[in-house]
Amino acid sequence: MAHALTISPTMLRVEALRQLRNPYTLAFTLAMPVGMYLLFGAGASYGAMSAGHGNVRFYVMVSMAAYGAAVAMTSATSSAAVEAAQGWGRQLAMTPLRTTGYAVTKLLTALGAATLAVALVFVVGAATGAEASDGWRWAASAGLVLGGALLFGLYGLGMGLVFRSDSAATLASISLTFFGFFGNVFMPLDGVMLDIARFTPMYGVVALARWPLTEGVLTTGQTDQPWAVALNIAVWAVVFAILVACGSKRSRARR
Amino acid sequence: MTTARASQAPIVLQLDGIERSFGVGARTVRAVDGVDLVVHRGEIVALLGPNGAGKTTTLDMLLGLIEPSAGTVRVFGERAAEAAASGRIAAVLQTDGLLGDITVRESVEVIASLHSRAALRRVPEVMRRTGLEPLARRRVSKCSGGEQQRVRFTLALVADPEVLVLDEPTAGMDVTARHRFWDVMRAEADSGRTIIFATHYLEEAEQFARRTVVMNRGRIVADAPTARLRTSLGARAVAATVPADRAADLVAALVATAGISDVRNDAGRIRLRAVDADAAAFTLLRAGARDLEVTAPTLETAFTALTED
Repeated sequence: MAHALTISPTMLRVEALRQLRNPYTLAFTLAMPVGMYLLFGAGASYGAMSAGHGNVRFYVMVSMAAYGAAVAMTSATSSAAVEAAQGWGRQLAMTPLRTTGYAVTKLLTALGAATLAVALVFVVGAATGAEASDGWRWAASAGLVLGGALLFGLYGLGMGLVFRSDSAATLASISLTFFGFFGNVFMPLDGVMLDIARFTPMYGVVALARWPLTEGVLTTGQTDQPWAVALNIAVWAVVFAILVACGSKRSRARR
Repeated sequence: MTTARASQAPIVLQLDGIERSFGVGARTVRAVDGVDLVVHRGEIVALLGPNGAGKTTTLDMLLGLIEPSAGTVRVFGERAAEAAASGRIAAVLQTDGLLGDITVRESVEVIASLHSRAALRRVPEVMRRTGLEPLARRRVSKCSGGEQQRVRFTLALVADPEVLVLDEPTAGMDVTARHRFWDVMRAEADSGRTIIFATHYLEEAEQFARRTVVMNRGRIVADAPTARLRTSLGARAVAATVPADRAADLVAALVATAGISDVRNDAGRIRLRAVDADAAAFTLLRAGARDLEVTAPTLETAFTALTED
């Protein structure tokens, strides 16, 4: 009984509402990806041009959804780590909720927010002419976007544990905007910029999310190698895992 | 050490030789350095001490928030963390401890829901008792310091704990809020809860706790009924107005008496300090003194004497 996994539906509900009430979350995870899709996808003159197994709108839609999902995960996990280290964590420590229950609750909330971000962009995309040749390509892209967002859940957790202040959560989310620009997410890069992009953390997950559409073909005509995409994701997963390990060691040392 | 009634009641808290240090190597700080403490059911205990005396660290170990470096903590015979998880011991934490972006009711509901369904059903009644109903829909960040403290108090009560731990519960409250807080606390104590609270307001220990434990530098330097602690340390102050013609003789006689000190004569009003205040008062009254006043030393005096090196 004492070690059973305690999860409270009330806590899940309140945590979900917190996400929706947070103006920052709303702006960066819901409004910004949709806005950028409308600007660079639906509203752009090249939007209807074909790309891989669909059109450019679909390509932009997946990119923006990946960004929104990554921000949702990062902000949720970084604030979860910060809260646990602060007073609220002490309050929760005096209840039957254990670390596992807390982690599961926060992960479910984070995935919920990420799913909402993806769903919103996809619905707007479907309504404004984003096209793919087969229905499964939509589902596969959405699934890969959410899977890739887990990597940024790890990143947010690490940032929250290492810096453990409210500004850590903000810093973690804002840094994703840079990862987006330099990771070939927002606009197609070329030349040296593209060479640099291949080494940045968002490049791999976005390339993977676009795979059902492009099969690795870039706007420049170059083709990503599957192993290179996998390597990017694997290396950053290790880097973020090390960040988490450092952070949790640091927060344990204070106890 | 404690009152007869309390020592017959079952033991709820037991600390045996607990120690706790922070940091490593040369920078190690011994926050708690060998504390033994037994609290029986129904006791109200004040933990008094200056900042850095080890009060918060001791209470954190009672709640299972931190583990002692040495010694054992037993709450109802269980490990402290287990007693806290089952809701038998609960605490009002010092500052923080709340999420600013959720409402008062949501805060209480989340904590209650983690404890049990019974606790969740209790939420409206507990919020009524602590006067939080009018604030239920307000965000915690919009509440005043005193209101937030009432939220923390409600979070502690919602599990219906047998032991309440309060870490400087009235810090940051104004006088009115402090009085209201202790009124509610008194009602909780009357309903049979065991209460242990840390404070550096001496008057709170005097007014509220029957037993006071004084800590300094990680150790217990005194543990006694509050009233006895007050009287056993320092003599009482005695003052009386005496007839002018007898004042000089009387002063001379008093100064010569053992156990009497600090005799002063301010225009017929004699003031002194006496270990045996009754005897001093008798001497004064027999000499025709009027307006006799005997005052016990404040805990402040006792406290200073105990924590001075």
